[in-house]
Amino acid sequence: MNTESKMGIFLCECGGKISNRIDLAHVCDLLRYEPWGHLGIYPYPCLAPGLAAMQQEIRSKGLNRILIGGCSSRLMKKRFTAGLAPAGIEKHQVEMINLKDHVAAVHEASPQELARKAAALISGGLASLKLLEPYEPVPLSFEGPALIVGGGISGFAAARELARQGMESIIFAKAQTPERVLDDLHRTFPGCRLFCGDLGELLREVFTTPEVKVMPEQPIDYIVGGVGDYRLGLRQPDGSVTEVPGAAIVVALDQEYGPANIDYIGGGEQVCDLLELEDRLVEGVEMKAGKVVFYVNSPEHGPAAQKFAAVAAWRDSLLLTRENPQMKPTVLYPANITLPLTGADLVEARAHGIGLQSYAPAVHPVVQSGYLSFVSPADNLEHDLEWDTLVVPGVPGDPAGQAQELLRWLPIYPENGGRLKKSHIKFWPDQLPDESLFFTGSAGGACDVHDVLQQGKKAARGVLRLREKALQGKLVSPVVVHVDKDLCEGCGLCTEICPCGGVEHVKPGSGPVPRDVDNHLCSGGGTCAATCPYEAIKVLNSTAQQLEARIKAIVTQMQENEILGFVCGWGGLASAEQAAVKGLTYPQGIYLIPVNCLGSLDPFILSMAFLNGVKGILLAGCTPTHSCHYHYGIDHCWYRVNAMKKLLSLAGLERRRIALGYVEVNEPESLVRMVESQMDTLEQLPSLPRDDKTKARLWAIHATMHRPRVRWVLGTSLRRPTEKVFPGSQFNAVDADETMLDVLKEEYTVSRIFKALTDQALNPPELARVLEEPVKNLTPILTDMVKDGRIFTKGWEKGYPLYALGKK
Amino acid sequence: MIPFTINGKEVEGEEGWTILEVARWQGIDIPTLCHHGALEPYGACRLCVVEVDDGRRTRVVISCMYPIKAGIKVQTETPRVANVRRWIVQLLLDESPEAPKIQELAKAFGVTPSRFKKSGVDFACHLCGLCVRACEEVVGVQAVTFGNRGLRKEVTSPFHAVSKECLGCGTCVYICPTGAMDQMFQQVKG
Repeated sequence: MNTESKMGIFLCECGGKISNRIDLAHVCDLLRYEPWGHLGIYPYPCLAPGLAAMQQEIRSKGLNRILIGGCSSRLMKKRFTAGLAPAGIEKHQVEMINLKDHVAAVHEASPQELARKAAALISGGLASLKLLEPYEPVPLSFEGPALIVGGGISGFAAARELARQGMESIIFAKAQTPERVLDDLHRTFPGCRLFCGDLGELLREVFTTPEVKVMPEQPIDYIVGGVGDYRLGLRQPDGSVTEVPGAAIVVALDQEYGPANIDYIGGGEQVCDLLELEDRLVEGVEMKAGKVVFYVNSPEHGPAAQKFAAVAAWRDSLLLTRENPQMKPTVLYPANITLPLTGADLVEARAHGIGLQSYAPAVHPVVQSGYLSFVSPADNLEHDLEWDTLVVPGVPGDPAGQAQELLRWLPIYPENGGRLKKSHIKFWPDQLPDESLFFTGSAGGACDVHDVLQQGKKAARGVLRLREKALQGKLVSPVVVHVDKDLCEGCGLCTEICPCGGVEHVKPGSGPVPRDVDNHLCSGGGTCAATCPYEAIKVLNSTAQQLEARIKAIVTQMQENEILGFVCGWGGLASAEQAAVKGLTYPQGIYLIPVNCLGSLDPFILSMAFLNGVKGILLAGCTPTHSCHYHYGIDHCWYRVNAMKKLLSLAGLERRRIALGYVEVNEPESLVRMVESQMDTLEQLPSLPRDDKTKARLWAIHATMHRPRVRWVLGTSLRRPTEKVFPGSQFNAVDADETMLDVLKEEYTVSRIFKALTDQALNPPELARVLEEPVKNLTPILTDMVKDGRIFTKGWEKGYPLYALGKK
Repeated sequence: MIPFTINGKEVEGEEGWTILEVARWQGIDIPTLCHHGALEPYGACRLCVVEVDDGRRTRVVISCMYPIKAGIKVQTETPRVANVRRWIVQLLLDESPEAPKIQELAKAFGVTPSRFKKSGVDFACHLCGLCVRACEEVVGVQAVTFGNRGLRKEVTSPFHAVSKECLGCGTCVYICPTGAMDQMFQQVKG
């Protein structure tokens, strides 16, 4: 990419929808001093003739930054990137300003007035494009085996598929022979031992094929690296750590079943659970012939678990009758579940004399000695079932094996109900690179062993796809995020916040180690960059510096009483666009700036806007937790807005100059109300005073937002709405808030001292006069600052030390 | 370049362009409903009809899908075309009388609600398919689909259930010309 930027501005008339409301000629006039290489008005740039005309301009004028002033970026960007790709334009080089939905359709002002707003938004876009950093995708190598961890049965299916396609893999398993694997199978898949004919073959193939190395399961100390180059640290029994390299990681985790509490049933040897029954079968314990009743109860685990238990019971009864035809098993299952049995299965059941009986779940069956009474849904009558052995299902438990270790190192998260999920983020598919984290097994949701094996096979195919891409040289890392290793302290906040698992992990206990980014997992959301205390992370396609430039450019063209509005790319932006579709209108004094997520809005952006003289700010994002598409992005934003409010009031300004609102995708009315309300509030407030004193204070607020300590506190003090306790030693809401306020107060004073000392060296009483603070508040801070080496005692004056910036 | 005429005006375009695209580029307005710049043409609403004289005979065709050919004479505002469009708008208006976009069209064509008015529905879906296509072509998932066939055809989520694929991005709601997606969105998203 050419680093010399040459911008082309293409304004869309949209068949009159834009040009009737905005005086586009006037917009061009207002933009005449901006640095562009081409500026033109087009009737329909999105249609074939328009795209052809744009391509021609790009080629003839050598444009490498494209700004389209037209409609929704969400809807149209794909069209333009595809249409302009033949002219050598990449996705990130195209910027769209939504004139239709943010300006033309929602305001009632005159076309000239709206032209001014449109021009301001466009010059903001130009300022942002100007700072676009060149970045080249880096091709990745994909050498070494696939590492299959977690110990789930699907791992073997994955290993076989990989081996058949000639790819090596290392599988970490508890059992080291096919037979041992099968013997333990009922702990994760009760009732499946009979049906492991295929599975046995599969396992034997895996254990004998030279491509697969089966290694004993060992505690995982760390997982570092990225796609094509992972390194797994395994803790050995003697305490040392060996590193195993691999190209990809397949996580196979199954849900483990625990023993049921059968004490309340009693009955001694005659009553057992499915796991125990299978244990007996594995060990070859002679079973007493007679009537065996599988009683599928446990409604507390949900119908899915009951269904699973009923099928397991059916399989075990087949196993019993095959081993001993004297056995007469009956499966008693609740009528509210449907047994996923085929016609052939039912025929087989009849042939072996297996009874399948449903009971009405409304009336709990009663266990008696030798009998079990239940209500049949067919006639609503109570019937008795005779038993010699009673079997109840096991209890679905937690994910097996190395789950906890893997959860720590990989972007897999526990959901409500104990299930594991890759990530709760929902993005457009093209916002994410190829799938490169493979998570399989019943820990992701109760399912049959066949489904799980299929999942394993699918994961293997995913790995093979990556290998194929690498062979063709197409496996590239988009390199969106860059970590400055000189600035990074390895604090780990980014790992916690990253929604995609893109930020690479550091080895534990190794002290501050600069982090790296697995760009293949990264979606470029930017919440990590906004939270980094040391500002070491840069999201190359939308840096904080770009946003800063955009805001500066817009703010300089704003008038008195006009405000900035930040909308997140999901709730806020969608509802703003929806307002235009629904024909709603709101005052034109708000300049909407879309960001990926409000969580990717760096705290210093807010302070910078005020420093540049904006009167007020409105932020509109998704409703917390359930709607946020990022990892608690909106909650992070809440803390930043809260800090900003505190700082404003410390500076003697009104807290209500900044307001955060929540809006859903299809609630444009709420957004309009929000905008009107905040604009009303701000109308009653005076503009920000422009005197030196206020400016110095706003400068100090801005500097405070850059302070690592403040950013660190902002990042760590996040209490997710699902959490009941506050992080650290904060015990309640007031405690937590006061901690934050104390830190802000201190750092704000530090910033103010800094600002005061930039002009001249001062002694404490003079400083106190300048800052209008009592000397006793400043003395401890000044002492600390001297200790930190931020200021030094230049000399002595009237018995007071004279402080100056810098070191001796 | 392929030369032809629209309303007597000499115009030209590249191979593969449609009449609608060239007409719009030339500033000639043709009303549309199911056409959108972000999507491939679909030809569901038939509102974009024009009269095309290819030298042998004159036909009424939909301009959003008709590829341009050398020498054809396109007329966008003949009585025949106006009649077709008026009838389409009439039926659309009777189906969803409250939808702003439909009201706009009705006003442009001087159409008022007829005695065939469908009662009780203000924002009925017209099956233009914008939401279904946007979900697939723009977003890249298939959270909204068509269900049933013929008279019972409807826009719905797969199996009428909450869609696991739905991202909740609201693209379908944004693109919907009648406002019918507002309610369906809740069903799809869950």
